[in-house]
Amino acid sequence: MKLRNRSSGPTKVEIPMAPMIDIVFQLLIFFMLNLKIVAPEGNFNINMPIGAPSAAAAEQNLPDIKVGIVSDRDGNLTQLTLGSKNLGNDDLAFERLNKEILQIIGRPGNPLTKDVEVEIDADYETQYKYVVKAISKCTGRMDPGTKQVARYVEKIKFAPPHKPKA
Amino acid sequence: MKMRKIEMGFTEPDMTPMIDIVFQLLTFFMIAINFENTKADERVKLPKDSLAKPPVIKPEHELVLNFGYQRSASGARQKPVPEIFYNERYVEVRQIMPDLEQEKRVMERLHGNEIIKDVTVLIRADSEVPTGLVQELIKKCQEAGFTKFSLRATSEEV
Repeated sequence: MKLRNRSSGPTKVEIPMAPMIDIVFQLLIFFMLNLKIVAPEGNFNINMPIGAPSAAAAEQNLPDIKVGIVSDRDGNLTQLTLGSKNLGNDDLAFERLNKEILQIIGRPGNPLTKDVEVEIDADYETQYKYVVKAISKCTGRMDPGTKQVARYVEKIKFAPPHKPKA
Repeated sequence: MKMRKIEMGFTEPDMTPMIDIVFQLLTFFMIAINFENTKADERVKLPKDSLAKPPVIKPEHELVLNFGYQRSASGARQKPVPEIFYNERYVEVRQIMPDLEQEKRVMERLHGNEIIKDVTVLIRADSEVPTGLVQELIKKCQEAGFTKFSLRATSEEV
């Protein structure tokens, strides 16, 4: 009677927890050690077709926006230019560039100026960060309040490289 | 007698809350980990920019080129010329051509001959690298047949 009762009635079965906890801790430690906190990275696409400059832009009669970056021998920024306009060489120069680009395209996402290209013409020694900054200022602006990005010019290309300063 | 037995018998601690928390932690770390960025080389100090947002659509085929200076632990340059960190080797820009051609051959063998047009070259260049050298690197890639280029920057909170 006793035996029968034990086998048929609902009995509490103890699941061995120890091995599972062991494995779970192992996994936890593995993931903790592998975790690497890296800042997210983003891309700037640049348009570099092989050979002659794109004929499409020339056909539509849209002049390229030429951004010039002049630097000294150590690669520090000495002058930022837009077309023939001098924008200076301080931090505000890039903000000025941003405003000028907006004036040229009218408003963000303007379909008329969708095919406008920006040509970056930088000195050989210019530190890469200035180029990225210039590209960023040409591609758009982030609204500080809403954190939305307003796109200005999508197409960026490089002018033929310069020779290093002797 | 019965009472005494309970007192004497060892009591098992309740494991359930601990296991709950451990599972939570495990899930957190599993989600937070990203194996994708393994190609990102920490030796390269990317330029920072607020507009650099991670792309919504990830390019299907990409070739990552890390371009920077060999630095000591304190950050001082050990060599004046920036180099490409390619498979544990340091290659200068003017000597990168054989490696690019090999990359191209491998990709063509894996995905067919036309693949080269769909490959995006991700350039992760140090913020202090001279622009002329980056342009030279792009030119070399073009000579090897790559057509799409992307410049990488760390996104910076404003």
